[in-house]
Amino acid sequence: MDAQSFRRQLEENLLQSPEQVLLRIVDAHATVVELTGQQILEQSRALAATHAEGAVTGSVVLLLLPHSAELFLLHIGLVLQGYVPAILAWPTSRVDAEKYQRNLLHQLRNLPAERLITIPALTQNLSHTLPFPVEACTVAGAEKWEEVFSSKVNLDDGERMVSEAMPLPAEAGALFLQFSGGTTGAQKAVVITAEILEAQLERLTETLAFTTQDSVVSWLPMYHDMGLIACLWLPLWSGASSLHFAASDWLLNPGVLFEYIERYQGTFTWLPNFAFSYLAAQFERVGEPRLLGSMRGWINCSEPVRSKSMDVFADRYGAWGVVPEALQACYAMAENVFAVTQTKLGEKVPVYSRTALRASGSQDTTAGGEGRQFDLTDEVYVGSGRPLRGMQLRIVDPKTGAACAERTPGEIHLLTPSLFNGYWGSGGLRTSAFQDGWYNTGDYGFMDGDELFVIGRYKDVIIVAGQNIFPEDVELAAGTVEGVYPGRVVAFGVVNEQHATESVIVIAELRGEFDPARKRATERQIYQTVLTSIGVAPRQVAVVPERWIVKSTAGKISRTETRTRFMTELFNQVAAKPAQRDAVLQGK
Amino acid sequence: MIDSLEADKVRAAARKVVEKLVGYSVADDDTLVSSGLIDSLSVVQLIAALEKELNVQLPAATLQPDDFDTIDYTVETVMRVAK
Repeated sequence: MDAQSFRRQLEENLLQSPEQVLLRIVDAHATVVELTGQQILEQSRALAATHAEGAVTGSVVLLLLPHSAELFLLHIGLVLQGYVPAILAWPTSRVDAEKYQRNLLHQLRNLPAERLITIPALTQNLSHTLPFPVEACTVAGAEKWEEVFSSKVNLDDGERMVSEAMPLPAEAGALFLQFSGGTTGAQKAVVITAEILEAQLERLTETLAFTTQDSVVSWLPMYHDMGLIACLWLPLWSGASSLHFAASDWLLNPGVLFEYIERYQGTFTWLPNFAFSYLAAQFERVGEPRLLGSMRGWINCSEPVRSKSMDVFADRYGAWGVVPEALQACYAMAENVFAVTQTKLGEKVPVYSRTALRASGSQDTTAGGEGRQFDLTDEVYVGSGRPLRGMQLRIVDPKTGAACAERTPGEIHLLTPSLFNGYWGSGGLRTSAFQDGWYNTGDYGFMDGDELFVIGRYKDVIIVAGQNIFPEDVELAAGTVEGVYPGRVVAFGVVNEQHATESVIVIAELRGEFDPARKRATERQIYQTVLTSIGVAPRQVAVVPERWIVKSTAGKISRTETRTRFMTELFNQVAAKPAQRDAVLQGK
Repeated sequence: MIDSLEADKVRAAARKVVEKLVGYSVADDDTLVSSGLIDSLSVVQLIAALEKELNVQLPAATLQPDDFDTIDYTVETVMRVAK
């Protein structure tokens, strides 16, 4: 299916029941904005036409907006009008306005575009520094953000070195871009074409037996594939309804998810693993019981699925109608548009004993290759389901490249009808060359029959609360802090048992004299810089003396070995902090 | 409960809770969430500790992590919404 046919089909799908509400957006004033298929078409087109006026059809239009009806409508409208929207991550909390904008310009160097649509305050600041027009879009309830970005920032010439406007070639057939990481660094904007999006949505629809009667409830951000594809595009394409509220509204008020599920008879929600633990832990705070029996699937996706997170959630909310058979798992990535595998609805997710895997002679904790350690100490692995129709998986020994036997862990490779073809970046469109068409995910797992079990990753990607964080981006950000030895920074992930997710650790060498006051000041500065640039607070920043970071024999910095040294020498010291924190929180 | 809640008492409680959470004392206008000193998933626990310390209820539905970004904001927030 080409892009033109996709747009026509989308329009038809939206008009199937033109009076039915298909999209609900809870805005910053807690008002539920309701849109029928007809209204989505009209309003999204009008908004896109106004804000993209003058831009060349097929060009990349960046959207930098807080959660709002306008963000959703602009994304849909730009697709319908033949532009290629890309949703940039909006800051998760109050940020240092100047640092944020400098960092944004830095990131945009790697992302050629022809227009940026953002809130008025940012438009004022950025319009003279970008080589393409910046268009203002007023968004309901964004007063706080207007204030944060209200002061004029003087961005010097060095900061203006952003990439030139560059059109995306029409033959790419792009509908939109989606980022595979939390930031907009080079080579991470996956080009989503009509062909691969349709292939994904068609298979997801049949696997979930998804119909117009389904109702998705979500707090996931739109710059994440799980929010954008599973929670928005799947229902839009199927003519089903979806409701979206802001992640920041969910965090302190997690019970609001249950409230909307009950009110709109929700049938599906997608959540990263930590959310199951978080909801269970917040049981006392989520308010009155809700009827959750309408739910067909609570799908755990985007970070390793932990059995205990699912169990504790089912235990806590069983009386509200959460049945273990509705707790599902999925293995997905932006490079495959979304899902690769999905567990079977109506059945409990399969688990595989870690002891049994060891007994079969397979190493599950020290996977070949780099000798990477996987920290999970769970007793069982949770299945991620079977491949969607026409999607092939193979498990490969990373040392020899040979296929692994069943129940023997190795690297997960994919060959699927929805596999991406290229990234958009500073060099333009980079098509990816795969080996015989197979894509190496960098993830590590095994097959039991046709069920996939994911153990961890070979790649150094850190998954914090479902968001992919590239260590390179963290290292780059931390490296800009004064006093840090240039290039001597290492970032990696550690398991965060408290929140059932991962946390970021940053190690940086201090140049010159090492004293405690400088160490403390530099650590705080790195905390702030990483949070502003990446949007994630590191669990620990350790500033160390020169030559502390471990280099490989080739003289290259080794993340794996530095991580090992940190875990042995420093982690026990810093682990005292969360323990102390827990004691406080428990009122001890 | 809100009638008997005094700003000084709230400030003392907020300082105590934040200091224990962060590991050392911070200035009243030091940013906590946006500086990474407290991660956003832990804000809810900061709220729970405050509720316990002050014997009040803070209705989460109206709150954002930013409302607790400094000790000053925290005091304002508690005075505004505590029940």
